[in-house]
Amino acid sequence: MRLLVVEDDTAIRDFLKRGLTESGYLVDTARDGKSAEAQAGEEVYDGFIIDLGLPDMDGLDLIARCRAQGHSAPVLILSARRSVDERVRGLEQGGDDYLTKPFALAELVARLRNLLRRSAAPQQEATRLHVSDLELDLVRREARRGTELLQLTTQEFALLEYLVRNAGRVVTRTMILDHVWRMRFDPATNVVDVQIYRLRNKVDEAGNRPLIHTIRGVGYVLKEA
Amino acid sequence: MYFLIAGDIRARSDAWLVGEAETLADVSDNTPRDNLYDRLVQEVAELATHEVSDPNLTGDRQQNSVFFLQTQPTEGPIWVGPAPRERFLQAIQAAQLAPGTPANVSVDGWRLPFRVVFRDRGKGKGIYLGFADISGVHMLDRLTERCLLVWAVTVVLGFLITWAAAYRTLARVERISDTVSRIGSEDLSSRLLEGPHPDEISRLSRTFNNMLDRIQASVHQLRVLTGSVAHDLKSPVTSIRGSLEVALSEPDRSQWRERVAEAIEGLDRLSQMLNTTLDLAEADAGALQLRKEPLDLAALIQQMVDLYQPTMAEHRHQLTTELQPVLVEADLSLMNRLIANLLDNEVAHLPAGCCVNILLQARDREAEILIEDNGPGFPLELRDRVFERFVKGKASTGHGLGLAFVDAVAKAHGGSVTVAERAGGGALISLSIPMVEVLREKVVR
Repeated sequence: MRLLVVEDDTAIRDFLKRGLTESGYLVDTARDGKSAEAQAGEEVYDGFIIDLGLPDMDGLDLIARCRAQGHSAPVLILSARRSVDERVRGLEQGGDDYLTKPFALAELVARLRNLLRRSAAPQQEATRLHVSDLELDLVRREARRGTELLQLTTQEFALLEYLVRNAGRVVTRTMILDHVWRMRFDPATNVVDVQIYRLRNKVDEAGNRPLIHTIRGVGYVLKEA
Repeated sequence: MYFLIAGDIRARSDAWLVGEAETLADVSDNTPRDNLYDRLVQEVAELATHEVSDPNLTGDRQQNSVFFLQTQPTEGPIWVGPAPRERFLQAIQAAQLAPGTPANVSVDGWRLPFRVVFRDRGKGKGIYLGFADISGVHMLDRLTERCLLVWAVTVVLGFLITWAAAYRTLARVERISDTVSRIGSEDLSSRLLEGPHPDEISRLSRTFNNMLDRIQASVHQLRVLTGSVAHDLKSPVTSIRGSLEVALSEPDRSQWRERVAEAIEGLDRLSQMLNTTLDLAEADAGALQLRKEPLDLAALIQQMVDLYQPTMAEHRHQLTTELQPVLVEADLSLMNRLIANLLDNEVAHLPAGCCVNILLQARDREAEILIEDNGPGFPLELRDRVFERFVKGKASTGHGLGLAFVDAVAKAHGGSVTVAERAGGGALISLSIPMVEVLREKVVR
């Protein structure tokens, strides 16, 4: 998959290029709107990552122009502007997702992947998910480790479901709060950590192999060790 | 006023004219034919003399000011008046006078029009009496002169008075301008003198002074804020730098991960503090952007409670709720953060094993949230200042912005928040925001 990263800050542009390349993408970069537009005309991109604070034009203008020229690939907006209004405006004007700075690279990668997957093939609604010997019945809202039924609260099940759906990939606390509790902010107390610890106790105790792992400085991942 | 007077004079003159015409008509009817002409001349002369009282207007002028015409069906007309008779006859015929009402008739060669009244005596007999009101006109001229003079004097006087008043007022405004321009950012403490008169200028001075008070308070707060933010940034930045420095000097690669991870966590906390500071600055400037939508406040609080429940349990706290479902118009994100802040505070300040209860109820047209605990409560010396920025308890590791944020959000929604000592010990935080309606009865958990 080929991506175009449009960001005027050199340090951020470099780390995005490096991080996304490591995640397996082909990455081109542009440092302003005009060169971005030119490049978009020359190559076919599967996705765009656009910073709104560009030196020569507003990022939203760039998106509008690209759309007008027929580039329909998904756009992930990066911005320092935090207000909900700005976010809604960005999404209304052609962005497909919105990430505020500072952000965790893991989150950017995760959101990008969701965007690209959406545009690629339609999601098939699964009724069962499994990783190793952990099985989730999404209809009955039940989780089993091997044959043992896990006693989970509704919250815990939702959290486990999110981890399983992202199995093998690191998810940040922000992402967990966003998707499981539908809140976009950082509480001062480590509530997410505690929720994970509780869940981990129930899930990992029941089986032989630990599944929920902490990745320091980033977040959590569900996978076989 | 001129026109009123002139009108009255004209009316009086007309009335006289009509009366005289009637008199002359009687004379004409009653005087035998032979004597008629002489009699009429006599009468007309008398009229002319009678009316013109001004001694300066003598001689021909008197004669020329009155005429009498009697038209007869069978004979020629009787004319007493100035020559040439023909001009008068033409003018009168052209005028087509209605009987009884005096009207103006202009005659060639005469400067002033004649005021003429026509009396129809029937059977083709008619009487015309005409009068050129020279003295009246003269009098009106003098009246005009005098009116103009008085008017001119009034205008000049008015102008002088207005100018003097405006000058004095503007002089006061000028003084205010001078004073205000001298008040720069260095000398925000000086104020305008409010004058003794309770007028607009005094009000202006007072308004300016109030504004200067507010500006001074804002500048002060800005200095405090930036000073505090800078101060509060120093510690986290120092510890982050420290982690990374240690990582650099560490030969053991596995330790690198630890230190770097620590640094990232420190940066996350820093970022959170900056965001909250920005929010508070926005709230201060009245620029906090609210996206209000209808929310079930009970459901919102319950969701937050569910999120915090495990953490509370970790600290062996008991968290209970009594929530009445009420509908409010509020910003979802800000309300979430507000409740989270309150719960963060409970976790941060309570020693292990306390009870926390959240009560949500409708009271009048407000939704009231009471969050109480049986912990140590607010320290006495802090109780008044608990909503100020960077005020925190001695043992707190937070940044001290939590309750300031709660206060700002409550106010932005048109509500309020207060703290008190709970009866029986502990803290009681009471938050009210305007409510739309009650949804259902209480749910106790």
